[in-house]
Amino acid sequence: MLRNISRSIIRASAFLRKEVFEILRQPRLVFTLVLGPFLILLIFGIGYRNEAPALRTIFVVEQPDSQLAQQIEEYASSLGPQLVYMGVTPNSEEAIEKLRRGEVDLVAVAPSDAYNTIRSNQQAVFTLFHREIDPFQIDYVNYFGQAYVDEVNRRVLRSITEQGQSETSTLQDDLREARESASALNNALRNNDNGSANQHQASLNQNIDSVSLAVGASLGVLSGVQQTLGGSSNNSDAEQVLAALANIQQSNDELNQTNDNQTRIERVSQIEQELTTLENSLQEFQNIDPQVLVSPFRSETKTIAAIQPTPPSYFAPAVIALLLQHLAVTFAALSIVRERTVGTMELFRVSPLSAAETLFGKYISYMIFGGIIAAVLTLLLVFVLKYPMLGDWNNFAIVVTVVLFTSLGIGFVISILSQTDSQAVQYTMIILLTSVFFSGFLMRLESLWEPVRVVSWMLPTTYGSILLRDITLRGEGINIVLLGGLLAIGLVMCLLAWLMLRRLISKARR
Amino acid sequence: MAFVATNDLSQIQAVKLDESIITLRGVSKQFRDEYAVRDVTFEVPKGSIFGFIGPSGSGKTTTVRLITGIYLPSEGEVKVMGRNPLEFSQTMRENIGYMPQLFVLYPNLTVWENLNFAASIYGMGFFRGKRLRKVLDFVELTEHRDKITRDTSGGMQRRLSLAATLVHDPDLIFLDEPTAGIDPVLRRKFWDHFKELQKQGNTLFITTQYVNEATFCDWVGVMANGKLLVVDTPDGLRHRAFGGEVVNLQTSAPLDYRAEQELYDLQFVRGQITRTGPASYHIVVDEASTAMPALMEWTKEKDITIEAIEEFLPPFDDVFVELIKDETNAP
Repeated sequence: MLRNISRSIIRASAFLRKEVFEILRQPRLVFTLVLGPFLILLIFGIGYRNEAPALRTIFVVEQPDSQLAQQIEEYASSLGPQLVYMGVTPNSEEAIEKLRRGEVDLVAVAPSDAYNTIRSNQQAVFTLFHREIDPFQIDYVNYFGQAYVDEVNRRVLRSITEQGQSETSTLQDDLREARESASALNNALRNNDNGSANQHQASLNQNIDSVSLAVGASLGVLSGVQQTLGGSSNNSDAEQVLAALANIQQSNDELNQTNDNQTRIERVSQIEQELTTLENSLQEFQNIDPQVLVSPFRSETKTIAAIQPTPPSYFAPAVIALLLQHLAVTFAALSIVRERTVGTMELFRVSPLSAAETLFGKYISYMIFGGIIAAVLTLLLVFVLKYPMLGDWNNFAIVVTVVLFTSLGIGFVISILSQTDSQAVQYTMIILLTSVFFSGFLMRLESLWEPVRVVSWMLPTTYGSILLRDITLRGEGINIVLLGGLLAIGLVMCLLAWLMLRRLISKARR
Repeated sequence: MAFVATNDLSQIQAVKLDESIITLRGVSKQFRDEYAVRDVTFEVPKGSIFGFIGPSGSGKTTTVRLITGIYLPSEGEVKVMGRNPLEFSQTMRENIGYMPQLFVLYPNLTVWENLNFAASIYGMGFFRGKRLRKVLDFVELTEHRDKITRDTSGGMQRRLSLAATLVHDPDLIFLDEPTAGIDPVLRRKFWDHFKELQKQGNTLFITTQYVNEATFCDWVGVMANGKLLVVDTPDGLRHRAFGGEVVNLQTSAPLDYRAEQELYDLQFVRGQITRTGPASYHIVVDEASTAMPALMEWTKEKDITIEAIEEFLPPFDDVFVELIKDETNAP
């Protein structure tokens, strides 16, 4: 028993030495495997600019000297560096021709008669022409057009709001006159001067009517904003103003209906107080910046993540996972098919070597090799490029080991299925392409239709990227569910490879 | 040991041997519609050198693969060490050495690393350096041990393959054309070593295209067109090829017609007399040892002076050609 175990270890060790020596005989390959990804990340880090592309935009306006043309230029400049203003032209064909020649990226045609279009209860349309074929860039142009029109709409709203606020200032005059009439009425009543009192009461009635009308008009914007934003129904500014106005009107009605001097004095005093309250409320509304009223919200993002990685450092764990997967799949895929093409499989069939010993030896040798590559690459990234490593190195090593184990299993299955080297390489390239598109390397997994994500969850890179990012960039431990899933795939592949290789070695050709 | 043979070469396919280590009974191997090996029956005695001779494509390698379990026979039964090769245990496999016809080791490894790999897959212990050096010395590759194998010559690669086959000192050794591409001096050394291995009790099954190498074997099987034509000892093959043994007779003067006719009528002469020179003859006889005194007696009676008389051992090339010719002419 002990003899059998020791001989099995010796047989498996044959591959350990053989694979290591074969790889070391190709120093250029090793050099490329380590330095290649390192240089890619280095150059990517230097060259990557996290900015949306600037669009050279020409505007088509029927009358280039009009106020609209001036406003368009002003709007365009406020959109930031993403819009490069290339001028205004009345000739849309000339603008489109420039677009065709690649002199501009975008042609924005302003609506020809916006005022009358809006009056006829229709939206005026800014038409954007582009010549993009990249779907992502087309999305960006659509988004950009929306952002531009939003900016135009915001400016129009701001202008209307400013007008509304200036109208509120005439209301202030009405309020002041109402307060003066109320004060004079109060004095006349206290002096029992009925003649003057009646005269001032008539003035007060007039003033309150004017205030009522003016408040109704000016309050629209504030009320609209509050309704849209879902402000508190009891305490909203608009409702407070309206309540104050209703109180004034009620007090004034009571004032008009009573002849009792003392009661009239109380009502007038009450009206004076309520007019002051109303004036204060309106003053607050007037003090609000129109920009705030039109764009009442803005966002501020705050992360609870430990760091905000740069794009290159965000991609680094995925690059390591993808590289390890590709390396392991390729080496394993070529490994057994080469034994067949070189002819050593014939030797194995006669020898006491078993499929398990062959696989064990190959697994160990490639895992050691892949582990060294991963270690050197990671150390270069962390200590030379200063990429973050917030988590535990042991967890990192565990994930790398399981990624390698699973990838090797996939490679061995490919290798046993392949009849030639080139066939194995083709399968390997398919795995690589699948990983680039489905593992979340290029785009988030959430971008994929859920049933299609089954493909993603069959790839070691998917698990490796997420697990390594969690460890290096979030400083978290290992997600046991993900690691378990990855390991399960690895074990299934290992079992499959063993069964297939056993069949290949032991089964005589019929 | 008992040997059964008939004079009809087309029917001679079987030998019965005591303590046979390999037994094939009616074994055929068919690839699609074509037979690579057809109805082969023979046994290999334990401790012998069994040579398998035949032209390229005759089915030698297929037969070796059938015996080693690489191929499953389409028909018939193969037993090696009393078991079907597909049912070999690991311990049994440790006692088998197999050298394929082509070089199948790793070109990127050194000679030493390849040999070490072969030793490992047979489970040789980690302290095997001495054995490796000894085998490497035997195949005269010691000074090339650190060479990358792809940089070595074809002959060196054959020698390395042989070393890899013998490194674990197996009891049963299959060598598929071990001397192909090897210079004659080393080839002879190889055969001396094979003889040495045989003395130590090993059994060797060796295929070769060098027909003359049959002389080193205890038993020789001759293959042609997938058929086993004959299995016999080297002397037996000569006997079969020429219908008896050959005596070389040189006389002082050419024999006249009448004398030649009388020679044919002698009882021990099997019928074929070939003139090989002005006064020299190859005479096929039943047994050279008894025929030569009788011939000398006859020449004395006829007053013919003998310059030389000896048993002639025809080269195996000729033996092989004769055997193949007979097979081709067979109905």
